[in-house]
Amino acid sequence: MSNFQIRPHRPARPLLYLAPAIALLAVFFLAPIVVNAVIAFTDMGANLRVGEFTFKNFERIVQRDARLPMVLLTTLIYVTATLFIFNVGLGALLAMTSTAIPERLGNFFRGLWLLPRMSPAVLYGILWIWIADPSPSGLLNQVTGALGLPPINLRNDFPLFLVILANGVVGASFAMVILTSSVRSIPSHLTNAARVDGASEWGVLRHVVAPALSQPIRFITIYQALSLMTTYEYILLITGGGPVYDSTPYALYIYRRAFENGAYAYGAALALGLMVIGVAFTLLQWRITNMRSTFAAPKIEVL
Amino acid sequence: MTKSLAFLATVAISALSAGFAHAEDIKIKISTLAERSAPGRVTNIEGAAEIMNRQFKAAGVDKRIVIEANNSAVKGWDDLALETLKALSVGQGPDIYVLPHEWIGQFAQDGYALQMDDRIAAAPWVYGDILPVLWESAKATDGKIYGVPQDAEIRMFFYNKDMLRKIGKDEAFIEGLPAKVEAGEFTLDDLTALSKEVVDGKAADYGMLHRPNVGIDYLMVFQSYGVKFMDEKTGKLVFPKAEMTKALGWYERNAKQGVTPVDNTAMSWDAIQGAFKQEKAFVFHQGVWAVAWQVGEKNGATWPTDKDGYFNKIGWIPAPAAEKGGKPANLSHPLLYTVNAKSKNAEIAADLVALATLPYFNNEHAVTSYHTAISNAQTAMPKYKDNWVLSAASPMMEHAQFVPNHTKFGSYNKVLFSGLQAVETGKMTAEEAVEFIADELELQFGGDIEIRDAASN
Repeated sequence: MSNFQIRPHRPARPLLYLAPAIALLAVFFLAPIVVNAVIAFTDMGANLRVGEFTFKNFERIVQRDARLPMVLLTTLIYVTATLFIFNVGLGALLAMTSTAIPERLGNFFRGLWLLPRMSPAVLYGILWIWIADPSPSGLLNQVTGALGLPPINLRNDFPLFLVILANGVVGASFAMVILTSSVRSIPSHLTNAARVDGASEWGVLRHVVAPALSQPIRFITIYQALSLMTTYEYILLITGGGPVYDSTPYALYIYRRAFENGAYAYGAALALGLMVIGVAFTLLQWRITNMRSTFAAPKIEVL
Repeated sequence: MTKSLAFLATVAISALSAGFAHAEDIKIKISTLAERSAPGRVTNIEGAAEIMNRQFKAAGVDKRIVIEANNSAVKGWDDLALETLKALSVGQGPDIYVLPHEWIGQFAQDGYALQMDDRIAAAPWVYGDILPVLWESAKATDGKIYGVPQDAEIRMFFYNKDMLRKIGKDEAFIEGLPAKVEAGEFTLDDLTALSKEVVDGKAADYGMLHRPNVGIDYLMVFQSYGVKFMDEKTGKLVFPKAEMTKALGWYERNAKQGVTPVDNTAMSWDAIQGAFKQEKAFVFHQGVWAVAWQVGEKNGATWPTDKDGYFNKIGWIPAPAAEKGGKPANLSHPLLYTVNAKSKNAEIAADLVALATLPYFNNEHAVTSYHTAISNAQTAMPKYKDNWVLSAASPMMEHAQFVPNHTKFGSYNKVLFSGLQAVETGKMTAEEAVEFIADELELQFGGDIEIRDAASN
């Protein structure tokens, strides 16, 4: 039957099939980068006009911006603390504990931890503002008040701590979901065999569960580090980056420079810096964590 | 079924197209800040459009003006100015926009504000009676007028007299306070001490509260300390370090002594206004239009709406002098209707602004939003005269000054505010904050600003 004959060989047209994806990439990823790079070399101010092309913005970043060292330090503290304590640490803890308890209960707790992720950012931000409200009626201060402690003002006195906490609680769910599936995919005979060989609970965790989690954790680390470096919506909502610049990491600093004062060109130059930092950071982590092996085909397939 | 549907659709479409065909709609976009207590900024333009539409109809002109209002929810007037500038830059701007006067220079320079001098000269029936001092606020650096003042106002410290009674002050002291401030006998430090007395006497939780965002009020205090923002001769912005250190020192002390909460700048307007209204705060620093929510039952408490009842509870003072024998300071901050020079309907927009500036319309805005009159005629109108708030506020205009109409003043003020926030939150001392501000100003404006050791040199 001619219907089942293989068609005469035609040249494949990868470009045709990839066109939609390429178009999306070009419009939403490449074009903004190009536009940003061009603006970074201009003097564009609040009126969006370009008077001249200049290196002034970069000179300003490197030589004159006295806020920048503090901002970079804030970024480092914010990203590493949120990442390791919450996004990876708490996420892994949640994955392991919620798989160790009965399944329905585990599902329930995981569902609870997903709630902040599902609620709109503005609502989540307002909830934290209420929690941290410095008056005695704020949620946190009701607790400290009941314990006889003086009221604390997180937003003013420990803004970075508050920001890390708020971002961490919402960020832990990502690792939790991924790591839960990793824990579940560990073949039960491995655990059973370990137990038969006399392994303690800790031994099982250490030698069976942990190795299975190491690869997804590498991925989570890179992915979440990048996303922490570039997002700032909760910070903007909860502390506004303040007091002054005390809780302003680099991404928010770009926003504040560009949009609070209309210094668009300077913001664009700073954003270019973030891109460079982001790429360098990813390459470094790729190297350190041997990411290539994560994408390699599995050596054995366990069913 | 399908037939009747098709028939219905045809009818609907023809009815719609007939509706479109009957008159040419001229869409005029007006942009302002959303403010519950000041709807007049939009409704006056709508009222003006109504008049013109009726005239079109009477004259058989097949045109109709449709007003489209954008009540922006950005944080404050400066943010609105920046937002409007951005919109205008990409050709999406409104036809008429409300602008804080100090921004007029920037908009005029960029060609987004219609020059009004000829129109003002040609329409004495509306513009002839506007208070001359207000025109000063609408001039760009070239000396030409680019906007039409819509509200005059006056700023003050509101203080709660009941709390003074509670801590045992006699009526002579309470009622004599404004006169003492006028005479320069009662200084800013005295105000701090008095506020502390009120807080220590458990009559209030907060001594003094001020705005949480960038604005004009705190500049009054800076002025009391002798800060000048611009050099009149060179037209350059200046930053005098010595005076600013003293002025920020006052805010620093207030926060340190527990008179002002350290996170005043992180509080919401609702929390601040609520605290004053619910009598948890002794002093609130803002402007006459705040009376709009102070009287009656807004913000969680009910206050008297009559003059005697109100003034029995609340008193007004300008920013006291910094030192004994000095002068109190006051600022007025007119808002302008500005016509987009690039709008294809700029002529109609300018006509609408002219009508909306007439005493009748402006008075509606003045009395509902508690802004002082922009024309002499208004002050004689019954509605205005009956408004005891405005008549009581008018004498305070005597010391009123404006902030400079410098193109960069808005951004400059933002930096000043961040310095204020820095000392109040305890993140910096006044000296450190002054260095911080100087550094920021240098970074942002370079040669456009002169950083001086003191205002006098």
